Amino acid sequence: MHRLYEQEGARLLGVALRIVRQRALAEDIVHDACVNIWTRAANFDASRGSARGWIYSVVRNLALNAVRDAGRQVDVDDTTTQALEADMSVQAYQEVEEAFELNASLGRLQHCLEGLDPARRHCVLHAYVDGCSHGEIAERLGAPLGTVKAWIRRSLASLRECMA
Amino acid sequence: MTTPHPAAPPPPPDDLQGLAGEYVLGTLPAAQRKTLEQRMATDIALQQAVAEWEARLLPLTQLAEPVTPPPALWARIDRSLQATSASPADAAAPQRTSPKAARKPLASHWWNHLGLWRGLAGSGFAMAAVLATVLVTRTAPVAAPPQFMVVLVAPQDKAPGWVVQASSPRQISLIPLGVAEVPADKALEFWTKADGWSGPVSLGLVQPGQPLQIPLDKLPPLQPNQLFELTLEPPTGSPIGKPTGPIQFIGRAVKVL
Repeated sequence: MHRLYEQEGARLLGVALRIVRQRALAEDIVHDACVNIWTRAANFDASRGSARGWIYSVVRNLALNAVRDAGRQVDVDDTTTQALEADMSVQAYQEVEEAFELNASLGRLQHCLEGLDPARRHCVLHAYVDGCSHGEIAERLGAPLGTVKAWIRRSLASLRECMA
Repeated sequence: MTTPHPAAPPPPPDDLQGLAGEYVLGTLPAAQRKTLEQRMATDIALQQAVAEWEARLLPLTQLAEPVTPPPALWARIDRSLQATSASPADAAAPQRTSPKAARKPLASHWWNHLGLWRGLAGSGFAMAAVLATVLVTRTAPVAAPPQFMVVLVAPQDKAPGWVVQASSPRQISLIPLGVAEVPADKALEFWTKADGWSGPVSLGLVQPGQPLQIPLDKLPPLQPNQLFELTLEPPTGSPIGKPTGPIQFIGRAVKVL
């Protein structure tokens, strides 16, 4: 476990932090994920994916559950949150653009993402990387909620087709 | 424009992909996430779809910048793993544990046993152990979770050859990870020795590549750190009741839960 942590710990913490946006909570999640992985290693089903992928799934699921359970998406009407989100939106937009440009190692997925309209691509990236809910993405992109939902569904369908 | 969210049951086949995709993407609202997670426990098609989406989108984890954890984080995880091994009840529900909940550090020697991993480790040995566990669960599904695990490795190159799994301290399963090569005029004999025993006790002859169930009713219950080894012996086993030939595979028991 220690070796695994040494190899993946920084990236796992990075993934959790992007989603929960609080350092202490992100560390809690990496902690919980490691304990979870350790105790459930015997239940891992290899036919369902790589061990490495499994570890990331555990971290992401814990992080997503934390932000969803905390009702972060319920607070979108709150003015304070809105102000905060607006700041983050600009920042995250630049971050995603930058990170996206920097990463040519996504393989086939990169090609397929590039095939999407930029707004739809950002829906997918904001959701996966930043853990944004439909409502948060709508705010960041300044698009109606229903549109964002439809974009996401269609983006997923396109990606699935493209990756097949 | 508003798109009504699809009702959970029963979605058309294509919607399964949409739901699984949104689950992995993270955009499902909390209630739908929970519903879907419950459904996944029994719905193989859904499990499959989720696994495919996880694999498809995994490269996106590279877009999050790595953040070096503080040294204290590993210390905390280490303490929790110790606590986990000391108290399975705590470990059963790590997901439900409040992330902020205080975690009690328990002094035990769990990590000393993990030192086994380190001691034996070439790089990736821990991963090999995880994968070995995978093989174990796939080849020998058991109702009870294993309480002890032993990965038996070749002494020279540390290549894992067998796994010992014990779902109770009274019975063990020996599971091959491959077919060990044994000279025609020799046999593999299986031995164990716990701390404090005067010498190894024979658990019988083992056929290369064949799994084996062994009751331990004549022996004391399994202990952490108990030694297991396979040695090369004459075809009828060691004539003196102690290992006489070279060790082919060796490992020590680690308490899992």
